[in-house]
Amino acid sequence: MDILPDRLAWYIAGPLMGLCVVALYALANKPLGATTAYSETISFVRRRPFESWRVWLFAGFIGGALVASILRGGFSPNLDYGKLGADVPLGLLVPILVGAGFVMGFGARWSGGCTSGHGLRGCSSLSPASLAATGTFMATAVAVTAVLHFATGGSL
Amino acid sequence: MNRAALLVGAAFGFLVAAARLSDYQVIHDMLRLREPDVFLLMASAIAVAAPILVILERRRWRTPLGGELKVVRQPIARRNVLGAAVFGSGWAIAGTCPVPAVAMVAGGSALGLAVTAGLFGGIALRDAIDRKAGRAPSAAC
Repeated sequence: MDILPDRLAWYIAGPLMGLCVVALYALANKPLGATTAYSETISFVRRRPFESWRVWLFAGFIGGALVASILRGGFSPNLDYGKLGADVPLGLLVPILVGAGFVMGFGARWSGGCTSGHGLRGCSSLSPASLAATGTFMATAVAVTAVLHFATGGSL
Repeated sequence: MNRAALLVGAAFGFLVAAARLSDYQVIHDMLRLREPDVFLLMASAIAVAAPILVILERRRWRTPLGGELKVVRQPIARRNVLGAAVFGSGWAIAGTCPVPAVAMVAGGSALGLAVTAGLFGGIALRDAIDRKAGRAPSAAC
């Protein structure tokens, strides 16, 4: 099947993602956020007390993305990673990605949220903590990306 | 409650994948300031959600599953900013973040698994540190 467009436009995806934030609040009085969904999934796996709705949220993320990949031509195992994958040999790329994921996870949990929890949910609620966190991670990510660009001689 | 979370999570995961936020190059081009689309996506999500939440809260909306709506708002703490700077650094390198990383995996990306494994590890370590210090886990979201 190949039903989905190659890339859903921002002016469709963005407002619908905003409505996801609204829906979880309006239906269940719960804040949408991915970092805590990861954290509670870890608690679930380790048989510690956990909030089950957050584990279902996590399962939903995977299920929904799987549906999108099926509607876009099917699930296809691959080793693609854009320009980074083209520039960096696989043996080096894997530890870099594990490390970057680790740094991201540690930082997001420390900060109390990530691009979804702070960036979308928290900013939609005009939460001062989320506005500060979002401004900080946006500025840091743009700066680090610029450093990577110059450090790689413009390749990345 | 669980069913609502599953459905909203599925819609969110679907949109992340459909808008190609799970594509390294899309996020990298955003952070290189080459393409405004993802910034516009985030801004439009907030522009839609913020006024609806304000209206629902003012009208004391009773949620079907969780009582009267209470929108979470927290004052700025040091950890919000320090953690965000650390998070932003990892985001820039991996070109993906927590939901797009699992969406990558759902699309068949083996390297998305590497990022997801790292995410689980980093989150578990931060939680362990907070537990050991007797602090409540960070829960702004």
